[in-house]
Amino acid sequence: MPKRARAVRWGVPIAAIAVVAGAVGAGPVIAAVQGDPVLPERTAQQLLADVGTRWKSGELPPMSGTIIETASLGVPGLSALTGEATGPVALLAGSHQVKIWYGSDSQIRLALPSHMSEHDLIVNGDQTWWWDSAANTATRIKTPPMPSEPALPPAVITPQEAAERALAAADHDTAVSVGNDATVAGRAAYELVLAPRAATSLVKDIRVAIDGETLIPLRVQVYAKGAAEPAFEVGFDSVTFSRPAPENFEFTPPAGAKVQDGEMPALDQDRAALREHAEDGELKTVGSGWTSVVVLPFATADLAEGEKQGHGPGLAVGAMADGVLKAAEPVSGAWGNGRLIRTKLVSALLTDDGRLIAGAVTPEVLYEAAGRK
Amino acid sequence: MSKVGPLGEGLSVSAGVQADSSAVSAGPRARSLSGDGPESPRGALAGVRAGVRLLRSEIGLTFRRPRNLALLGVLAVVPLVIGVAIRAAGDGADSFVGQVAGNGLVLTFAAFFVMLPLVLPLAVGVVAGDSIAGEAGLGTLRYLLTAPAGRTRLLALKYANVVVFAVAACALVAVSALVTGLVLFPVGPVTLLSGSTIPLAEGLLRIGLVALYAAAGMAALGALALAISTLTETSIGAIATTLVLVVVAQVLQAIPQLAVIEPYLLTSWWAGFDGALRDPVATDQMGQGLLVFAAYIVVCGSIAWARFTSRDITA
Repeated sequence: MPKRARAVRWGVPIAAIAVVAGAVGAGPVIAAVQGDPVLPERTAQQLLADVGTRWKSGELPPMSGTIIETASLGVPGLSALTGEATGPVALLAGSHQVKIWYGSDSQIRLALPSHMSEHDLIVNGDQTWWWDSAANTATRIKTPPMPSEPALPPAVITPQEAAERALAAADHDTAVSVGNDATVAGRAAYELVLAPRAATSLVKDIRVAIDGETLIPLRVQVYAKGAAEPAFEVGFDSVTFSRPAPENFEFTPPAGAKVQDGEMPALDQDRAALREHAEDGELKTVGSGWTSVVVLPFATADLAEGEKQGHGPGLAVGAMADGVLKAAEPVSGAWGNGRLIRTKLVSALLTDDGRLIAGAVTPEVLYEAAGRK
Repeated sequence: MSKVGPLGEGLSVSAGVQADSSAVSAGPRARSLSGDGPESPRGALAGVRAGVRLLRSEIGLTFRRPRNLALLGVLAVVPLVIGVAIRAAGDGADSFVGQVAGNGLVLTFAAFFVMLPLVLPLAVGVVAGDSIAGEAGLGTLRYLLTAPAGRTRLLALKYANVVVFAVAACALVAVSALVTGLVLFPVGPVTLLSGSTIPLAEGLLRIGLVALYAAAGMAALGALALAISTLTETSIGAIATTLVLVVVAQVLQAIPQLAVIEPYLLTSWWAGFDGALRDPVATDQMGQGLLVFAAYIVVCGSIAWARFTSRDITA
């Protein structure tokens, strides 16, 4: 066979690979060609006000969609965990999908799918269920999560809640501006940029993408200083603004499943512990705004204990803490000795006299707080 | 014997040789290869008929080979073993597999869960990896090429045969698991991963969906194995390479630091069949999986075509 004819034949698979690669890469390329969407201009203040009125006026429009949550916090020793843990704990590292169906304030369903298992939170009227397919357990939650209160662990917050929180933090110490318009889930969106003014903060800025049409937050990104990719991102991958089918909000515990009453399984322990600490006056915050630092008593022995009695998520937390502790670097100074855990967004200091000091700040701020006692 | 020219698609071989079916079926594996040449008046229709005949004879050979029958036997036995093991161990209804004790239909999903990573790819990899290289190794490929089918059509027929085997393998797993489940366990409405319960009939429908998705995944693996099979003349080499790739891909998948490449691996999409067990069905996830399978089939198929139509067949 002539060389040329042979070359032509091999051109076909090369073309096929090019077509597939093109199809895979088409999204970003098309977005780049189209450029940023153009929305009527709004200043940061107008945008905040419009969003404010939208939220004040009541309910969000009914919608359903897929939220992708990506955390690359750069916690040393945490990456080993991503393969094993399931459920809310796993959201601390890697990329995860949450599906949401929103009918009204009293009709919400969140689903966290993982391979051959699923966690579901279903709110329908005065009934709230937490379904764990791996454990075959349905939990009737006594206190339905209030929309105004962060009811889920920080990692599973919806864009709405995340934006609400970011806006609440907007204060005299924050530079608020409107960035270039962005495209999120195929929709044109305003981008509100919140940058901390304090030099000691590890956060470069927080970007909130707000849908140009419905003014609903579609995405929240947290950028660490010196990083091109967001350290934490939660946003819609796809969204449709239409009323989800009512059967999404119906839940009857399946035959053979364990049914129990309780609070959100991933939360009750942490919450109770936090409340306890706060009541005892043990939990303190030092500083304010972006540079506030949390100080609480903490002994490594507690962790080991938790690991022994823990099962399910408890065990995963124990294993995680173990890995993170091993990666901590020993430090010392005028304030004493301890171990420092540095991540892109958060620094944590474990002092040898049994305190945990943490915040989204440079280690120097932690040392200062440690010296204050 | 002289080489059959690489571009021999029915042109370089005289019509006289083609018509003489006894001459071309001299190989150890008799097939019916007679048919009219593409240039004859009845060309197109006869070509289709010849293709169908060739495919039928291929499928017949595939399903009569003792080795393939043994593979299918293993596929049928594994769900039975899982079912008996769960029955013997008693009910531990804590996990999804544990729910089998309460509902026999769930055994089908459990069987695919257990068999999709390795057992099913093993069976499909053997048949697909053997398809071209095996003929080349036995020296029968030459004879096949004297048929008027042409290389492109021959390759298409070989792949069609692989797809039929993949579908049959997945259907066999589903049926075997279904029968085992019906015999050993009570059967009733199915609880999905999302916690909702669907009636029995819809449960059967979902089983069909899972089997079809698995078959599509196996067809993609078949295309990969077929491409490898055109690169070598030793079938065991093609089979081993395919299975090593399957295992390596799954090892890579297990390394969290390599999560970036996971969406590009064929194996990571096989697990997507669990989308059929959610409420509503995770069509986005399964649709994406099917697209990945299609991409693998197009790329590997074109590589197989380029290689098979341009190489010199010496054996």
